[in-house]
Amino acid sequence: MAGLLSFRRFRTRLLVLILGLLAAALGGAYVLVTRANRANAIAHIEQNLAGALRVFRFSVELRQDRLAQSAKVVSADWPMRTLYLQDVLDRHTLRSTLLSYAERLEVPVVAAFDPEGHMLATTMDELDDEACGPFRHLVQQAEAGNADQAGDFAYLAGRLHVLVVVPLYAPRPNIIGWFGAAFPIDDSFAQALRLTTQAEVTFVSGPGEAARRVLATTLPPARAQTVAAQMTPDTRATAGTTVVDLDDEPFVTLFTPLGLLGDDPARIALQRSLAAELAPARELEHVIALIAVAALVAASVVALGAARSVSRPVQALAAHTEVIARGDYNARIELDRADELGQLAASFNRMSAGLAERDRVRDLLDKNVSPAVAAQLLRDGAALGGEERPVTILFVDLRGFTTLSESLAPRELIALLNRYLDAMSQAIEAEGGVIDKFIGDAIMALFGAPLAQPDAADRALAAAQAMRHALAQLNTVLAAEGRPPLAFGIGINTARVVAGNIGSHRRLNYSVIGDGVNVAARLQALTRDPAHATDVIVSDATLRAATRPWRTLPLGSVKVKGRAGEVLIHKLLSDPARP
Amino acid sequence: MPLTHRLIAAAALLFAATLAAQEAALAVRVIHGELPVADAVVSLVPLDAPAPAPAPVEAVVAQEDKEFDPYVTPVAVGTRVNFPNRDTVQHHIYSLSKPKRFEKPLYASGASESVLFDLPGVVALGCNIHDWMIAYVVVLPTPWFAKTGTDGSARLVGAPPGRYRLEIWHPRLARPVSRELVLTAGAAAAETVALTLKPDRRIRRAPETRTGAY
Repeated sequence: MAGLLSFRRFRTRLLVLILGLLAAALGGAYVLVTRANRANAIAHIEQNLAGALRVFRFSVELRQDRLAQSAKVVSADWPMRTLYLQDVLDRHTLRSTLLSYAERLEVPVVAAFDPEGHMLATTMDELDDEACGPFRHLVQQAEAGNADQAGDFAYLAGRLHVLVVVPLYAPRPNIIGWFGAAFPIDDSFAQALRLTTQAEVTFVSGPGEAARRVLATTLPPARAQTVAAQMTPDTRATAGTTVVDLDDEPFVTLFTPLGLLGDDPARIALQRSLAAELAPARELEHVIALIAVAALVAASVVALGAARSVSRPVQALAAHTEVIARGDYNARIELDRADELGQLAASFNRMSAGLAERDRVRDLLDKNVSPAVAAQLLRDGAALGGEERPVTILFVDLRGFTTLSESLAPRELIALLNRYLDAMSQAIEAEGGVIDKFIGDAIMALFGAPLAQPDAADRALAAAQAMRHALAQLNTVLAAEGRPPLAFGIGINTARVVAGNIGSHRRLNYSVIGDGVNVAARLQALTRDPAHATDVIVSDATLRAATRPWRTLPLGSVKVKGRAGEVLIHKLLSDPARP
Repeated sequence: MPLTHRLIAAAALLFAATLAAQEAALAVRVIHGELPVADAVVSLVPLDAPAPAPAPVEAVVAQEDKEFDPYVTPVAVGTRVNFPNRDTVQHHIYSLSKPKRFEKPLYASGASESVLFDLPGVVALGCNIHDWMIAYVVVLPTPWFAKTGTDGSARLVGAPPGRYRLEIWHPRLARPVSRELVLTAGAAAAETVALTLKPDRRIRRAPETRTGAY
């Protein structure tokens, strides 16, 4: 999750992740629901429009039949037939009679024709014989089919009408003329159709006309023009629906051609508003949208809470880590939870306890063994293997301790001894020496073990000088306390010895063993010999191992107990810098 | 003119003058609410003596501009009514009324038909090819009748003093209205009759020019 989705805070990441997924799911559902609703609405409107088309056809048929029946009643009328059969046709009387009958029958247009279909009189003044072509066509059609009536759509004076013709019998089957009737497909017809079908109705002239005319409509004129302009040139009866936008409101529109006598087919456009059909669905969609928003808000709160429940303890753990890093192993973190974070906190506490335990062990080690040994023990484990290595061994022993012990109470004696040992230890450790062990009032110290030191001999010699200085200072203090001064003797030898942990499996001491150790102890003992007149005796091996020149005086060679050869010894002179 | 004839004429004049001296006049005013009622036929039927035979006269109900003219024509029993066609189109007039049933099939402008109305009663006239054409011939058994004008008033003259039944007929009356009254010599009587008329149910005439719309 690098780049865009890398957030500094876990909370933000979790929030974005949850909200993103939820929004995608809800958004997807919303889009699907919306599309399904729209598809359903269109399908439903298509059904309705198909029904509206059937209603239209049925209503035209019904009106056409009624028209034909009316025409038949009039055509059988005695004075009408009398008028037809007069020697000279009286067109004026015929016309006034047609007017009366049109009124009686409530038929908008009636017309009388001779047997050939030529117009004799009509109630529609705009119609001349020429314009009565559609009637004539129907007359021919009825005659050809030997039918009692014929009817169809046609233009009369440029307006769309439904026409019917019936024969005038005198008596049947002698046809003395034809009687025609028509009703217009006008705005009021469209309105009536809309009342029964709930669909907007527009009649448009055929695609052959240069400018498509709105023949009749329930729409405002501008909208009706839009519908006319959108009319498909498709002349198939089942061209399907299209969506026509009227002033940005989508209307599902069904264009159906109406066959005309000798003209381009006109069209009936049946329309229903998609928006109106979708209105209930839109309400549902709004509810869904509201629920989605509410879900997102709720999810945000939950996500933030969840993130906080994770990030808070994590932050607490991080802070606790800092505390541990600073060395406070006693601090404990309390997370009252049983999950992974609770387990982590418990682990942290166990770790703190473990660290504290290790610290305590190390502290004890520091006190019991030298810090260098302790460090190596901690690093390499308790089982230090034996190894032979060059080591400078220093023995220091307190002189006259036995006499001192007789004059002091045990508590005071130990206190004094510890002050002395502490001063000596400090001097040794200051030079990098390792206290191997305290032997009563004596100290055995190692240089070059367990850590190799290239200047181990120099360090041992420097430590001896430092011990002299430390003893002098201690004696100054003791003198001030009214106590007698202390004295020591030091022996230093350098030899290859075996170093390692020595002891039982329960208790181990790091130490060195070997002849060289005995030599060092022996040299220390030689300081008691007044003939040597010195408190520090150094073996020749040590001086050879030293890298710096040291001021010494040779004391000759001595025979060391348990050794075949003799050992050259030297007396370490006092450091002139430290009188 | 022979002398005897002159004498007879003189006697007749004298008789007429005597009669005139005895005649009463009645002014009738017919109203519907506050409005005057035109075309109401008012007549006086004597109650104490038989009504004298009215003098034979001729009446005319013309067809003009595809209407009958006049709308209401009161005539005395035995009157011959002429129906001249003064129109541009033919007409086919008929009556289905009890007092006189007749039919005058299509006849053209300039021609005339006549019918003798010899029984009293109301005769409704129609035209077989023009539904809106309607007229009434009211045949009365008395010589004293009149038709109200647009002011709703009519004047009945010539009836001698005596008891009469005043009868009022109108096309929009459910049944004739009548009342008794006494006419006295030399006095000018006035009568106001309030009618309750039915709605006018005449057919709306078809317009002469039509556009072919419903």
